[in-house]
Amino acid sequence: MASQYDLTTKIIPYLDRHLVFPLLSFLSEHEIFPAEELIKAQYELATNTHMVDYIASLYQQIHPGEEFSAEFLKKREDAVATNARLSEETDPVMSVIQNPEVAQNLRQDKLQNFNYLKETFGVTPEQIIALYNMGQFQFSIGAYSAAADYLYHFRILYTQNDLLLSAQYGKLASEILSGEWDKALDELNKLKDFIESGLPLPTINAPATANTPGSAALTQLQARTWLMHWSLFVYFNAEDGRSALLETFLNSTYLNTMQTSCPWLLRYLAAASIISRKGTASASRTVRTSLQTIVKIIQAEQYQYSDPITTFLTDVYVDFDFEQAQKSLKDAETVLDSDFFLWEFKGEFLENARYVVSEAYCRIHQRIDIADLSARLNLSPTEGEKWIVNLIRDSDSRSTLAGDAKIDLEQNVISTSKPSVPVYQSIIEKTKGLAFRTQVLGAAMAKRASGDTTVDGEGVEKENVGGSGGKGRRGGGKPPPAAAAQS
Amino acid sequence: MSRFFRAADDTDTESESEEEELLTSDEEEEEEVPQQVAKSKPTGMARFLRTGSGDEDSSSSSSEEEESDEDDDDEKGSETSDDEKTVVKSARDKRVEEMEACGKASDNALKVGDWNSVGNEFDKLGRLVERQKNLQEPVPTLFIRQLVNLDKSIANAAAKDKDSKKKMNAAAARALATLKQKVKRALKDNEEDVKAFNEDPNAFESMYQAAVAALAPAVKPIKVVKPPPEEGEEENDTFTTVGKAGKVYNFTATSVMKNLAAVHESRGRKNTDRVENITILQKLLEVAETPYSRISVLLALIAARFDYNTAVTAYMPVEMWLSTQKNVDELITVVASNPDYVVQEVVTVEYDPLEERTPQTENGPVLIRGSIISSLDRLDEEFTKSLQNIDPHGTEYVDRLKHSMGLYKTICCAQLYFVSKNHSDAIARAIMRRVEQIYSKPDAVVQALENGAVPALADLKLSATIPTLASCDSTKNLVHTLCVKLYNTDNSFLRTRAILCHIYHYAFHNEFYTARDMLFMSRLGDSIYNADVGTQVLYNRAVVQLGLCAFRIGLIKEAHSALHDIFATQRVKELLAQGMHQQKYGSTMSPEQERAERARQLPFHLHVNTELLEAAFLVSSMLVEIPLLASIDNEEAKRKAVSKPFRRLLDFADRQVFTGPPESTRDHIMQASKALQDGQWEKARDLILGIKIWSLMPEEKSVKEMLGRRIQEEGLRTYLFTNSAYYTTLSIPLLAATFSLPQKAVTSIISRMIWSDELSASLDYVPSTFDGAVSGEKLPVVIFHRVELTRLQQLAQTLSDKVNTLVENNEKALDAKLGGSDGARGGPWADGEKRVGGAGEGEGGRRERPSRGGRGGRGGSAGRGARFAQGLGNRMDGASTRRAQ
Repeated sequence: MASQYDLTTKIIPYLDRHLVFPLLSFLSEHEIFPAEELIKAQYELATNTHMVDYIASLYQQIHPGEEFSAEFLKKREDAVATNARLSEETDPVMSVIQNPEVAQNLRQDKLQNFNYLKETFGVTPEQIIALYNMGQFQFSIGAYSAAADYLYHFRILYTQNDLLLSAQYGKLASEILSGEWDKALDELNKLKDFIESGLPLPTINAPATANTPGSAALTQLQARTWLMHWSLFVYFNAEDGRSALLETFLNSTYLNTMQTSCPWLLRYLAAASIISRKGTASASRTVRTSLQTIVKIIQAEQYQYSDPITTFLTDVYVDFDFEQAQKSLKDAETVLDSDFFLWEFKGEFLENARYVVSEAYCRIHQRIDIADLSARLNLSPTEGEKWIVNLIRDSDSRSTLAGDAKIDLEQNVISTSKPSVPVYQSIIEKTKGLAFRTQVLGAAMAKRASGDTTVDGEGVEKENVGGSGGKGRRGGGKPPPAAAAQS
Repeated sequence: MSRFFRAADDTDTESESEEEELLTSDEEEEEEVPQQVAKSKPTGMARFLRTGSGDEDSSSSSSEEEESDEDDDDEKGSETSDDEKTVVKSARDKRVEEMEACGKASDNALKVGDWNSVGNEFDKLGRLVERQKNLQEPVPTLFIRQLVNLDKSIANAAAKDKDSKKKMNAAAARALATLKQKVKRALKDNEEDVKAFNEDPNAFESMYQAAVAALAPAVKPIKVVKPPPEEGEEENDTFTTVGKAGKVYNFTATSVMKNLAAVHESRGRKNTDRVENITILQKLLEVAETPYSRISVLLALIAARFDYNTAVTAYMPVEMWLSTQKNVDELITVVASNPDYVVQEVVTVEYDPLEERTPQTENGPVLIRGSIISSLDRLDEEFTKSLQNIDPHGTEYVDRLKHSMGLYKTICCAQLYFVSKNHSDAIARAIMRRVEQIYSKPDAVVQALENGAVPALADLKLSATIPTLASCDSTKNLVHTLCVKLYNTDNSFLRTRAILCHIYHYAFHNEFYTARDMLFMSRLGDSIYNADVGTQVLYNRAVVQLGLCAFRIGLIKEAHSALHDIFATQRVKELLAQGMHQQKYGSTMSPEQERAERARQLPFHLHVNTELLEAAFLVSSMLVEIPLLASIDNEEAKRKAVSKPFRRLLDFADRQVFTGPPESTRDHIMQASKALQDGQWEKARDLILGIKIWSLMPEEKSVKEMLGRRIQEEGLRTYLFTNSAYYTTLSIPLLAATFSLPQKAVTSIISRMIWSDELSASLDYVPSTFDGAVSGEKLPVVIFHRVELTRLQQLAQTLSDKVNTLVENNEKALDAKLGGSDGARGGPWADGEKRVGGAGEGEGGRRERPSRGGRGGRGGSAGRGARFAQGLGNRMDGASTRRAQ
């Protein structure tokens, strides 16, 4: 069961070697797969790194009592030697940079910085690249924070594009592995901007596709896929990461990426949207309406991916089959238990899942038997009652339960009354934006008439464009400020 | 011109014509019998007799000779029949006669002084002589004499004219002037002949006769006087006769190249007997021994066969096609077994086609000009053309269809050969042909085709391999492998076609999601308008097949939206190239357009059954639209919401005063729709399942089951929409019983309707009031909270909607005017538009999907008809050029 829904094998191809170690050790802790195989896998994984001591310990676990091969010993020596060589190369630069006087003189402009260093201290481009090599080496021996440090400096000073992306990835991985979530989040956003900036991305591991048509799009797709996988580490650890995840993943480009190349990430999207259900007071509109969107996507992708978590959502929102949802929720529990990213959020998830169920249930039913609802939520009647009371009390103004649900203890039911929206109100809603929109039109026309043909780059971001969908930006002129304020 | 120059000129022309002789001698052998040959054509004699009567004298000696030949012939001649004699005779004699007639007419006109008609006659004569020259026949004396005469007459006339200029009218003067010019030119062209003639007309005459009699291969009599002796000797040595049709050919291995060159020479000329050329080449093929000559002959033969039909519309006779196919096969076998010979379209090295060439190691393989892939293309096209022209309901069609097996074999062999030679362009084209052969066929047919092809592949004994059904397990994999190869080519035309075939194939095998994803990710919908008509048709076919596929697996909404676009155009048959454009008022097609469209039609066996298509579309329309119709309560909104094609039919059915029992598929569906509206789902189901056309679907049973279920569900929804106004509560068990659905399913359907605000209601339990119910048992019910709108409120709502649309339209109009970019389309996606190869990882195309699911059947339907590729008819010019890429 747990191994059936295990995503580790799907995720690993999109991760860095070093990022896989935590995943594997998590798996061995939870005993989902045979321990021996896992250790072997860890060993295989480690052999290509320079973490010699770690390799040694793994080797001994697999082959207790055996001697290390000569090759291995040589590797160890090599590693030490490389370390010495690289630190020699980078020392001058590092000493220069760490000089407080230099730090003060550094500016925003990379080129200027580099020229400054070159003129004042004789720093050569080779030395800068040595920083990168050092960072990479430090990373490969497992000294992540040192790697982060080196890469940070490298990035400040390096002026070309080619190694920058790699350095970005390295920095992000280092931050993730050293557990600096805030910094990692920062790095993640930088990397995202970098990918979205539309600069030609250096191909990561697909030289074969370099010249085929659409290779640029393909590289971008790859980069996005990687980014999404790596971001899981950050989003499920950083504070407020879940809503950040929703913001990112629900962005249409990332949704497309997910649907195209990694539908399994739907699990995390679904889970994140359930988890952040309650704390949505501060979140933006996209997060609040996320569940509906996600359900649609889950439905669309059902043919290529489903697990108990996504099934739970379809059970509730598509089939309204609460019994089935209850079962799926139970399955989802076990899945959560064995998921590296989600296990910490099990409690929150269940709590919010209950909320999701009860909300849907209450909206459809007029009178709800508390015992019945409790059963639906996997709770005992008394627990259930308490829970529901809390639910009604805590529910904020957006919820359907707000204010119009009452508990009738005599019959042990909750009754909800749904006042239908008055016609007047709906008409007012509909016509609200019209005056403003018309004014915008008028202004644009006036601008055009006055001969100013340059379309204002800012445009007017409109909140409510109506059902046509996807039309966010219009190339109209700016409205007269006074008019805008009035409407 | 000085004497000296003239002499130089003479030698020049002489050497030239000698070369010509070499080239053309074979041809002359075909037409005219060399003197040395014991047996000779009777033609010659007959002509002499006739010319003798026409001209003032003829050489009796030659005619006697001919007579004796004739006797000879009769004695021996078992194989020559009289019919053939006359046939052959007339062709030559006619020309001579024509010339004579011309000459006479010219003389007459001359006598009268009608310069105009003299000019015309002279032109005619000139043309005839030109033709004579083309055929390598000697220029008759008649012409020269005529020329000299004319020259004199003109000189006279001019002299006379000087005296009495006034007599001649302007037109005649002009005619005379032009004629003078022409004669001058002709005189110059035939200077030598004229000179010879002037010196001694009689000698010249006899010389000509000798030339004809000798039938020596020379254009100009001068050369005829001294026929090249070596030629004669050679022919004496090696001559063999083949007496078919009374003609004698020199078919030996050594002379193959000569004969071939002769055929090449005549190709494309007027008055070439194509059938004869083909026969000659066939004979040559029999005697050709070396690979080089075989390849050359085969190339020529294949080309000659394709030349057989000059008309574009006519198709190659089946027999001819079969032998062509055999030749192509043979050609491939020969080149495959002789890797030192390579057939290429472009050969930079100049070579003498007459020379036998053998591979020399230092020069690499012998390159021969020609194109196997074009032959393959033509072969396939001819096959399609014949299928287009054969009545699809006769046995002939079926017989013809069987030949596709051979064609497929040839294509596979060619592909294998190209792979072994690594001709990337040719490989791609061959693969495309192969994919087009199999993409729309059921597995069993593909299996048969493959079984036919595989042994032939093994026979080629090439080290390269190509994917076969056996190596790919299933047709799906086979098509996939082949298409992936095509995605990697540079040719975007082939890529587009490949992905469309691929989509079609997936849809055909009920892999709806894969096919749909490919269609979206390829983003073809945006660019298909720029494609050629053939590709557009393929696109339409793919979309339609996708719709059918969705229908088969029960995705009614998807089926509806896929099929809606094409049905909205009302030109389904035309868009699928399965029928001609129906001429309507105002729009007429030019004959060229009509012909082009006729050429585009798909052969019958590839057709998508339009009746089935229509049934699928209308049934899915019914299932989508009827509940929708019921959910909307004011008339105006109804009119807007429902898609036109369905609405039109429904209205038509409504207007009918009497409705008889349903006959056509359409009748069935319309009556079912009405029954569904009335809540009689059982009647609706029976009507729908009674449609016979479903039996065409392989999954008939499951489709019917699915339809029954869907009718129950949609019946329930319709019922709830229609009747919610008249009830405050409805018992769920009762609903479940009425619609034969499990109670759970009913609850689920109602819940979904409540959740999506389609139905203003909620679920509740009331104490059961049924007799016999256990007291205290609760009965689940639906409680409706319906708010009746007053007239004023309704109007206010409509008004607000309208104002909204108005503003939106204004914004759109302004956007278009200002050219403001549509934000949704810009950004980093601009580069992502292109399709990415392989499994189509282009992510951009997915954008539509989430919104699609959300819109359901309705929102998306309006105005999307335009998205269908309809550019038939009016785009043909561009298309034909593009096709040539």
